[in-house]
Amino acid sequence: MGDDILSYNGGVALAMKGKECVAIACDKRYGVQNRTIATNFTKIFQYSDHCFVAFCGLATDVQTVSERLKFRTNLYELREQRKLKPVVLYNMLTNLLYERRFGPYFVFALVVGLDPKTGETYVYDSDNVGAVSDNVNLATVGTASEYIFGLGELFFKPNMNSDELFEATSQALLNGVDRDSASGWGAVVYVIEKDKITVRELKGRQD
Amino acid sequence: MDVLNPMTYDAEEDQLRDRTKYSQMDKHIIPVEFQQQPVSTGTTIVAVEYDGGVIIGADTRTSAGTFVMNRFTDKLTPLTDQIFCLRSGSAADTQAIAQVVTYQLDFLSAEMNEPPLVRIAANCVRRMIYQYRDDFLAGMIVAGWDKKLGGQVYSCPLGGLLVRQPVTLGGSGSTYIWGYLDNNYRPNMTKDECYDFVLKGITLAITRDGSSGGCARIAIINKDGVERIDVLGNDLPKVFDL
Repeated sequence: MGDDILSYNGGVALAMKGKECVAIACDKRYGVQNRTIATNFTKIFQYSDHCFVAFCGLATDVQTVSERLKFRTNLYELREQRKLKPVVLYNMLTNLLYERRFGPYFVFALVVGLDPKTGETYVYDSDNVGAVSDNVNLATVGTASEYIFGLGELFFKPNMNSDELFEATSQALLNGVDRDSASGWGAVVYVIEKDKITVRELKGRQD
Repeated sequence: MDVLNPMTYDAEEDQLRDRTKYSQMDKHIIPVEFQQQPVSTGTTIVAVEYDGGVIIGADTRTSAGTFVMNRFTDKLTPLTDQIFCLRSGSAADTQAIAQVVTYQLDFLSAEMNEPPLVRIAANCVRRMIYQYRDDFLAGMIVAGWDKKLGGQVYSCPLGGLLVRQPVTLGGSGSTYIWGYLDNNYRPNMTKDECYDFVLKGITLAITRDGSSGGCARIAIINKDGVERIDVLGNDLPKVFDL
C-alpha cells in the first residue's frame, strides 16, 4: 500500500443531497495496510439532531478529532442553551483543524446537516487543515473517493426523494469500494429528513 | 539465438531493462499523485495433491497499490494441457515467466513426442526465477498431472527454490491461512475434502488480506483433464463475520 499516511487505515465516506433530505454513508473497515482487523469501524458521528460529520483518514485521528469536536459542541450547547446548526458545526471543525495547521491531523471530513424548519440542506467537504468547500450536492472523502465520485455524479439527480437518495448513495458507495482494497466490508447509510433519521446497514462484498 | 534457453542473452531484454531504468527517475520527476504503483497479483494461491490428481485455487484480485485493477483475474495459467502454474508477485514478471516456459515445454513435448513431466515444468519455472533472482519478484506454484508420478505440486518461491510438497500456499494472503492449513490438512484426503479445504482457505484469506479479493477460481487436474470451477462472491462459504 506504500507509505501514504492517508491510506494506512483506509476508509471512505460519501454525502449526497436530496429534496429536503441528505444522506451520509461510510464503509466499516478498520485495517492496518493490507490486514483487515475489524469490520465494525463506522466513521460517522452525530453532533446535533440533524448534524452529522464523517471523518476519513488515519484511524487514531478519526477517533481523536471526533471526540475533541464533541467536547467543543457540548460546551457550545451548554453555554448557548440551544442545539447546533450545520453552519456553526463546520466553522467549529475548520477552527479545530486549522489550529494544527503546521502539524495537522490526518483526517478529511464531510459535514452534513438539515434545517428541520425550512428543509434547507447542507453538505460540506473539508480537507485536513480546515479548507471547507461551498454547500455542494455531492462530496466524498477517503481512499476510494475518486471511484465513488464518478459513480455519484452518475447516479445523482436534483431533488431526489429519500428513497431515491438512499439508492443512489448506497450504489455509489458499494460499487466504488469494490475498486479499492483499503475500504469496504459493509456500509452504513444515514438518511436525514425533517422528521426522522433512518440508519441502514448494508452488507457488501466481504473482501 | 539459443532456442532451448531463449533468455540467456537477448538484445531486446537488455533494452527493456534499460528502458525500465527510467522508472527509477519517475520517483523524482512525477508528482506523487500521478505515480503508478507496480501491478502485483498480491494474492492467495493454494495447491494440494490428492490421490489421482491435484486441486489448485486462487483469488481473483490484481491491484496497483490500493487500486483494484482487475476484480476477476485468472491466476491459474496453463503451461500445458495438464500442468498449471499459480502466479503471485509482480504481474508482469509472472506473466513473462509463464509465457516463456509455455514455449519451452511446447518445444520439449514436440521433441519427446509426449507431454512433459510436471517436475520438468517446475524446473523450467525455477530456472528462470533463479537466473533473474535479483530482478524478478515472482513466487509461483506449479501443479499438474503426468503419467509417471500422477498428481504433483511443486513450490517455486522467490529466490529460485524448487521443492515438491503435498500441500502448499503462496502469496500475501497465505500468511493468514497457514494456521488453518496446519489445523485442517490431513494426508490422503478425498477429492471433495480437498476441494472444500482449498475453497475455505481462499475465502478466509480473502476476508483478511487487502491484496486478495473477488471470487475464487479452482481447477481440478487429473488423468481425465482439467475441470475449472469459478465460485462467485455470494457462493463462497460463510466464515465468521468480523
